[in-house]
Amino acid sequence: MFRRNYQRIALLLLPLLLAGCNFNARQSFMDPKGIIAQKQYDLFMLTVWVTAAIFLVVGGALFWTVWRYRERKTDDKDTLPSQSHGNPMIEIGLIGVSVALLVVIAVPTLREIWFTHDVPDDPESRLGTWFDGETAENTDDEPLIIEARGWQWWFSFEYPQLGITTGNEFAIPEGKTVKIELRGEDVIHSFWLPKIAGKVDMIPGRNNYMWIRSDEPGYYYGQCAEFCGESHAYMQFRAKVLPEEDFEKWVAQRRTAPPAPAGEDWTDFMTLSANNPEALPDNDAVKGARLFFGKGTCIQCHAIDGTMAAGKLGPNLTYVADNHSLAAGWMEHDNPDGSINREKQLSNLYEWVRRSEDIKPGNLMYYGTGGLENVDLSDEEVHQIAVFLQTLQ
Amino acid sequence: MSLTTTTTPADTPKTDHSGTDVAQRSNIGLRRPDHVTGWKDWLTTVDHKKIGAMYAIFSLAFLIIGGIEALFIRAQLSVAQNDLVTAETYNQLFTMHGTTMVFLAVMPLSSAFFNFLVPLQIGARDVAFPRLNAFSLWTFVAGAIIVNISWLFQAANALGWFTPANGMTDIVPAAGWFGYAPLTGDQYTGIGTDFWIFGLQVLGIASIAAALNFIVTIINFRAPGMKMMRLPVFVWMTLFTSLLIIFAFPPITVALGELMFDRFFGANFFRVEQGGQPILWQHLFWVFGHPEVYILILPAMGIISEILPVFSRKPLFGYSLIVFSGAVIGFLGFAVWSHHMFTTGLGKVATAAFSLLTMAIAVPTGVKIFNWIGTLWGGRIKFSVPMILSLGFIWMFMMGGFSGIMHSSAPADAQQQDSYFVVAHFHYVLIGGSILALLAGIYFWMPKMTGKMWYGKLGYWVSGVVIVGLNLTFFPMHFLGMIGMPRRTHTYLEGTGWQPMNLLCTIGAFILAIGILLFLIDIVRTIRKGPPAGNDPWDGRTLEWTIPSPPPFYNFAKTPVVRSRDALWADKHGSDAVRLGSVDAGSGGVHMPSQSWFPLFASAGFLLLGVSMALKSAGVPYCGYIAIGGLVITVIGIYLWALEGPGGYHVHPEEEK
Repeated sequence: MFRRNYQRIALLLLPLLLAGCNFNARQSFMDPKGIIAQKQYDLFMLTVWVTAAIFLVVGGALFWTVWRYRERKTDDKDTLPSQSHGNPMIEIGLIGVSVALLVVIAVPTLREIWFTHDVPDDPESRLGTWFDGETAENTDDEPLIIEARGWQWWFSFEYPQLGITTGNEFAIPEGKTVKIELRGEDVIHSFWLPKIAGKVDMIPGRNNYMWIRSDEPGYYYGQCAEFCGESHAYMQFRAKVLPEEDFEKWVAQRRTAPPAPAGEDWTDFMTLSANNPEALPDNDAVKGARLFFGKGTCIQCHAIDGTMAAGKLGPNLTYVADNHSLAAGWMEHDNPDGSINREKQLSNLYEWVRRSEDIKPGNLMYYGTGGLENVDLSDEEVHQIAVFLQTLQ
Repeated sequence: MSLTTTTTPADTPKTDHSGTDVAQRSNIGLRRPDHVTGWKDWLTTVDHKKIGAMYAIFSLAFLIIGGIEALFIRAQLSVAQNDLVTAETYNQLFTMHGTTMVFLAVMPLSSAFFNFLVPLQIGARDVAFPRLNAFSLWTFVAGAIIVNISWLFQAANALGWFTPANGMTDIVPAAGWFGYAPLTGDQYTGIGTDFWIFGLQVLGIASIAAALNFIVTIINFRAPGMKMMRLPVFVWMTLFTSLLIIFAFPPITVALGELMFDRFFGANFFRVEQGGQPILWQHLFWVFGHPEVYILILPAMGIISEILPVFSRKPLFGYSLIVFSGAVIGFLGFAVWSHHMFTTGLGKVATAAFSLLTMAIAVPTGVKIFNWIGTLWGGRIKFSVPMILSLGFIWMFMMGGFSGIMHSSAPADAQQQDSYFVVAHFHYVLIGGSILALLAGIYFWMPKMTGKMWYGKLGYWVSGVVIVGLNLTFFPMHFLGMIGMPRRTHTYLEGTGWQPMNLLCTIGAFILAIGILLFLIDIVRTIRKGPPAGNDPWDGRTLEWTIPSPPPFYNFAKTPVVRSRDALWADKHGSDAVRLGSVDAGSGGVHMPSQSWFPLFASAGFLLLGVSMALKSAGVPYCGYIAIGGLVITVIGIYLWALEGPGGYHVHPEEEK
């Protein structure tokens, strides 16, 4: 009978299915590395077990009934089976059991709704003292705040307490509460870092937030999870959970400008570039920097902190060469051991500037007002810009 | 059997009683298109059976179109970083796939069943408002064309013949089937959104008109003795679905109207810079959208509730509770909409409330499943094709319901929302639920509709291939969601680990497509060479099986008198007290409604309105005037329809049997 064949096929396919499913995949929520994701995972598994139990019982009842009461050749065709209309007691009993099972799911659900919404005090945060009390006010107990903004089709991350901004990749300290304030800059986006927490949407005009905490240092993968237009699929981000000392170093680095390609500092470089460019070394980094600040029109949208590039419409490029990816996570340049593949990175930087319209259709670096669509750069010039950008580490 | 036709009074009869049929003149002096044949008959018919057949044909055509869109989606996703279609085209494909399947395939297929079956199951001659019924059909066609004609304009754009003034080349809707603002604002999407707005708006009018028609029909046109608690469950589910439609569609009408005003007249409902609120769109849409999914599933549940008793040879277990749970599902369906919005920052209280209510709605659904199993228990189960598909329905709908329970817990949903986990859930309930039940219904009732019994055993293959295909396509999607794949993404990086399962899903999709193809072949072969079905090929329980297959155009020669639930079964196997009776045919005979051109005419105005407003957005000149012209045509059509009067004529079928 067909039903039995169907069962056999299903059984055959099951191992095939499971083989293709690696729960440790890099965006898997079945591999929680943060407290919020852990609670959400536990609740999910509770629902899995409850529904699996119901499935076995009810599914089993269905199968048994169909098998036991199937028409057989030996049946007397003229008599009818007992024409029962129902049994209120059984009905009520089953409703009661259903409600009880739902209560089992409902109680922890309510508890976790409160847990995930209430940003906890963090008596260990000592935010101000991390950084020698320099920028942040005395903020004992306050969580680290990150303002995450979703743009078509990239993420920006600002740390208002620390005075730093990054594009598409950010870092948080291990074991500390972090509050992420979520803003949509154009259309609705969504911030999904599965191993750390479930998503919350970034809705223009709305002050959404979430809090996270992770005790497992690592490099984590996130992605926009609300359809936001043509290149929604290409809008990803990355997060690093760093041990406390490493996080301090990361912050300290970010608060100083990257080295200028020539001259004593950026002011020196810009002065030389304007007044005495022949005095500058004749290398690609220098040429790329001069293009970046000049003909390339990059500073309309991009910023390099500590220089005169202060554009706010595109990702902050201050230490872009420390990122393991480009174009909002879409172009990767990792080695298998997690280090950055410098060759690939250079190639990615080149490709992105040269032909972003192919890589991220509709992107505003190319098509926006003053975009690269109308800027005439030779391949050589784009290469120089890429070399310069790679010095920003 | 021979008929004699007499005309209704009010005009000079132009017939003699030897049977020559001459159409009447209406009150506005035009001849009603009665007794015509061929395409004129189909365009002017008000016969619920023909209208049902047309709904079915259109919906199957759109099922194929939506299915092709799905196959492109699956092909594109089968390997990482594929470039079979561009990102923009992909976004259009999933938008159109969703819109087509929900509004142009499942809803009209349900409508086909409402139309064909409800008057027959309640012992009526037709619906309460036959011309309004035709109007619903043609308005649906108009809406379907408005949405899909965008493909032609997109093709024209690709050929360089047509470019919208603002340079935005998304001419086919590309903002998802639920069109979230601000993405659907005029800054971010092109005229595709306008085709979508007007198409949906017009489709809404069709649905509301049909729903009103069926509510009145069910309340008022039941045969003598057909008390509400003797109604077939399918009729109850039609009633609840119709009530859901009339309460659920106004919010989306408002939402679409507001979006239209934003895009055309400078309003700021959703424009954040001017104080608008994107979240307003989501609330309005989902207040419609959630009841909409119950609109999609209740008719399916009704169909299953009709089929299981016939092939178990015993009554539906717990009829009252099945009816009552249908009502509860409909009612609670309006109380859970924000479970689609758990990630939008609703706050603790609202999140908790919607979470609990969503869990609650699992209870009446569970009741139905228990009762269906109770119907099978103790019966004598015949594994006909409708029964196999119904059993598949119970199994698949249960699985879809379980992933729904998983979604109901808001913190867990924060991970699942907008991932392939949701895609798995709703395809299980929509294909494993609605589509399987609708297929079962077609296998069950097509012999009645066409008079042809199914030719051969292909139906068993259809059932098997569809069920296997559906599971292979959508079961892995649960895992894809669990390992982080978001929805509506044109492609993905290989490092994500999503590729093996995507390939599996794609293979499954093509298997499912083969199943549907076999189904279409089965229909065609049966219509051409199926053996005669007779009145009651399945040993049925309800009134439609008392009349010939296909039913005569007047349905019942004599109005039946009902004395029990499952009136035909009671007549065949019950005591004398519950036997079917009939009303003596009076001298008037059966009063038939006159056909009319005006429902079609009025609907054509909507088509003009929708297409020209979208083209106006594109900068095509004079389109605003053409749109107004379309509205004028609709108004004139309705006005003349009102003026032409009810018309009608009588027939006197001779005694049969």
